[in-house]
Amino acid sequence: MIGFFKNIGSYPASLLLIIFSNILLIIGFGIGKLAMWKWENAVKFFAVFSVVMSFLISAYFIGILWFSIGGLISGNIIHSAIFTVFLFLPFIIGHFATYKKIQFYSDIQILTLIISLVVALSFV
Amino acid sequence: MSQELDFQFKHENCKRAVLLFHGMTGSPFEMKKIGKALFDADFDVYCYCLPGHGTSPISIKAVRWQDWYLESSAHYRELSKNYDEVFLGGLCMGAVLALCIAMEYKDVKGILGLSTTLYLDGWTIPWYNFLMPIGLHTILRYYYSFPEREPYGLKNEALRRKIAALQKKNTVALDNYPMSCIYELLKMSRFARHNMSKVLSPVLLIHSKEDDLTSPKSAEFVYKHVSSENKEYIQLENSYHLVVMDNERDFVFEKCISFLNTLSNSKNSKEREFAV
Repeated sequence: MIGFFKNIGSYPASLLLIIFSNILLIIGFGIGKLAMWKWENAVKFFAVFSVVMSFLISAYFIGILWFSIGGLISGNIIHSAIFTVFLFLPFIIGHFATYKKIQFYSDIQILTLIISLVVALSFV
Repeated sequence: MSQELDFQFKHENCKRAVLLFHGMTGSPFEMKKIGKALFDADFDVYCYCLPGHGTSPISIKAVRWQDWYLESSAHYRELSKNYDEVFLGGLCMGAVLALCIAMEYKDVKGILGLSTTLYLDGWTIPWYNFLMPIGLHTILRYYYSFPEREPYGLKNEALRRKIAALQKKNTVALDNYPMSCIYELLKMSRFARHNMSKVLSPVLLIHSKEDDLTSPKSAEFVYKHVSSENKEYIQLENSYHLVVMDNERDFVFEKCISFLNTLSNSKNSKEREFAV
């Protein structure tokens, strides 16, 4: 971990964007999953929370696209292909999600983010 | 609680009825004034609470637009068994619902489309609206609720204060729009846009120039794409989204009644009395 922060300047900015947005999204979805039932009527909190999360998801997508395009240009097609899958996963999960099973789909979403974080860290 | 909000205004031996639909996160309460005006003009009037509405904010998150459609079309079928002429009328999402029913049932005698909501592009839509596709198509839609804010769809300030107070108590409508509900509305609107040419029934569209939730683009789209030979579009100058409650409500009622009367072949109560 210390080594990661020591050499942070040497990693591609796109990879760093993926890693940091990924960590924040895992924390965010974790908070959302716990807070959703406890503070169901906290409309303003969830409004701000969702806007922040949407910005983070945008940053995550930009990071993935940036990294994948960079991979394609430099000939690392496998890297690009792996990350492109993570680009679509939030939408696929969102498509199938229902309110009754939101806790289950939140878990799936968090799990896929953890996997994408592990994959991103494997490039460090 | 939802059934308590339903209303029916009926005359004796009346052969023409209007089925009204309320708007997104609203309740039949908002349609009561127009319902009363139509009743006074010799129409039987029905308005039912749409699935997920009128109960808790949680139940609205669990419904799909098909639930609204199926229940509303069942009400329409039921009325068409008992009446010679059945008209449909709706506000906001209710107007889209009325159009969707008319796409399937060609015998709908006429449609009142009030503040038809095909696009959410009014002037109160927040600046971060560009993030909406991300919110809508991920699980975030079950987290986010767009807080209802001033002007509450009303240009009339006195009425705005009254409605704001009632909304805080959640007695007439929710004080927020859950994004999952917006997601379902937009899916229904997309379905309606793709099938608009199937509408053959006469349509009256009334939309405010300054609608805070949905711009006149929605009404213009309907006007341009329906196949109805008899179609009329009126733009209001001094109202916002809730045209049935705002400054020009009497004008709206008058236009609706005269439009329905031009389409109706049934006798009104005075004519019925005369015939007897």
